[in-house]
Amino acid sequence: MHELLLAIDPFLIALYRMSGYALLDFFVGTFILASIALVIGEFTISVLFLINRKHIDKITGDVVRYQNLSVDALTAGDKESYSSANKLANEAFGKSFFMQIALSAGSLWPIFFALSWMQGRFAQIEFPLMFTGMSVGYIGVFLLMYATAYLIFKRIKYKLPYFRRIKNILDMYDQRSREMKDFSDIVPQRKQTSASGS
Amino acid sequence: MQSKSWLIVSSVVVIAIAVAAVLCVEPAFAGKLEDAIAQTPQGAGKGMIDPKAAPGFMGIPGAPQPFWLYTILWGIWVGWIFSSVGAFGGVMAGVGHITVFGLADYGKTFKDSNPTLNKLLTDSIRVCNQYLVGLSALISSATYYRMGRLVLPLGLCLAGGGILGAYLVPVFTAGKVNLSMYVGYFGLVVFAVAGVLFYETTPKGQASRKAAKAATKAFEDAHIRKTAGASTAESDEHAHGVRVTRWSTSKIIFTFYGVEFSFNPLWPIIGGFVISAISAFIGVGGGFLYVPFLTSVAGLPMFIVAGTSALAVLVSMITSIFTYMFVKSVPIDWILVGTELVGIFIGSILGPVTSKYIPEIWLKRLFVVLALYVGIGYTTKGFLGYSVLPGM
Repeated sequence: MHELLLAIDPFLIALYRMSGYALLDFFVGTFILASIALVIGEFTISVLFLINRKHIDKITGDVVRYQNLSVDALTAGDKESYSSANKLANEAFGKSFFMQIALSAGSLWPIFFALSWMQGRFAQIEFPLMFTGMSVGYIGVFLLMYATAYLIFKRIKYKLPYFRRIKNILDMYDQRSREMKDFSDIVPQRKQTSASGS
Repeated sequence: MQSKSWLIVSSVVVIAIAVAAVLCVEPAFAGKLEDAIAQTPQGAGKGMIDPKAAPGFMGIPGAPQPFWLYTILWGIWVGWIFSSVGAFGGVMAGVGHITVFGLADYGKTFKDSNPTLNKLLTDSIRVCNQYLVGLSALISSATYYRMGRLVLPLGLCLAGGGILGAYLVPVFTAGKVNLSMYVGYFGLVVFAVAGVLFYETTPKGQASRKAAKAATKAFEDAHIRKTAGASTAESDEHAHGVRVTRWSTSKIIFTFYGVEFSFNPLWPIIGGFVISAISAFIGVGGGFLYVPFLTSVAGLPMFIVAGTSALAVLVSMITSIFTYMFVKSVPIDWILVGTELVGIFIGSILGPVTSKYIPEIWLKRLFVVLALYVGIGYTTKGFLGYSVLPGM
């Protein structure tokens, strides 16, 4: 086990010694570990978001602007302008996509440290799957607990003052994305089409 | 509501296929790495494992153990590339695993003494590459779904082809690719990336972008003047000007004011398969291939490209990673990937700062030079047995 993980091992293993019942302790301890990894990841990515906000604003602005221009060009029947605006919209999207990949590392890094520690402690543990002859190990249990923790945290996250502030900022981005046009702005709605009989 | 139902049904189908693919081929055997180590001759020489040596990569005694700060620094380099230029970050992540941390050279020592361990190390490097990019697409996809920009039918075409490629490649190649072959093919892919980046720095590549900007600006200025005085009735007429003339499995055609647009839905399926197969084999995320493919080859509008490429990368990477890890029991060094991720998000902060001072075209020229160097070095090392360039 890595020295860093050895240093925090006494604290982490204490999470697995709460009730004295091994099976229950394993699931509860893994759930708490996953929750800690989740909260640290959410905090890290929110800090990154605040630091990079201006840059994200610029990239998002370019994406929305060129996308809307491409749809407006379609509406006006100008295919050449559509191709030009679409090319720039795709370039802007490409930058946004890779920027997101880099930022999302901020959310995911605690998972790997958690899994590394669990590998050192629980690598041999397996839960057989009925009727299959196969088994699930520490990775599968951790991912399941992480997904559960994510769903629970999602509901309570914005009650915390810090994340509420982040939500307000993100809501502004949602509003901005609603300004982004797509084909539904120019294709007749299905209900309208069927109602008019065309 | 209808598209939400589609999303739920489609997601369930995709997850069911992925789970079935993972569980139904062969059971996962714990201890594959331990078995491979046990079969390796013991000693301190080349191609041997000294059981008394300190554990290194993946806990193998005597294996390289990069100092954690170096992996963070390399991650910063990768993150900086992602947030400044975009593509090429995944390639650099691979270079780190192969060359900088010495994992490929270490794995090659087992080519004759224990080919199984050699190939296991190759597969582990491939998966480590994929983790850095593939799981990150999870966040991108969630964001685009929240923005309502996931266009599901096209995303499913891409993802369908992507799942097939991402599943078949690990099944047929895991445990069969030695490090030399992998390094050689990695070098060839790097050449392809160098080609794309180089084109973007040429006068022709630059001219096409400048022309697009000029045309867009001209349209924008004209459009603002025109719509300032447009009536509601006029804009309603525009909306009804769209006609979808043909829906089929081979072509979707629509016209607007006489201007015809079309795309073949088969393209995303084939493209998804090829791109995810390359990604699953080499370990690069595929993001840099999906975006130019969807825009240049298929000519699709950006709002279709945005969410669908993120979804396609996500689905194919998850399938590939699960197949390597759970079907083929390829072990992973979690600490290596974790420290690299720390570096990547630090690098993501630096990219926007430096982009104010370093023009993008000079960054691309730098990466073209790096890509050519890496491409030549790896291709010769892989296929000739030695690199013609130092340091590779």
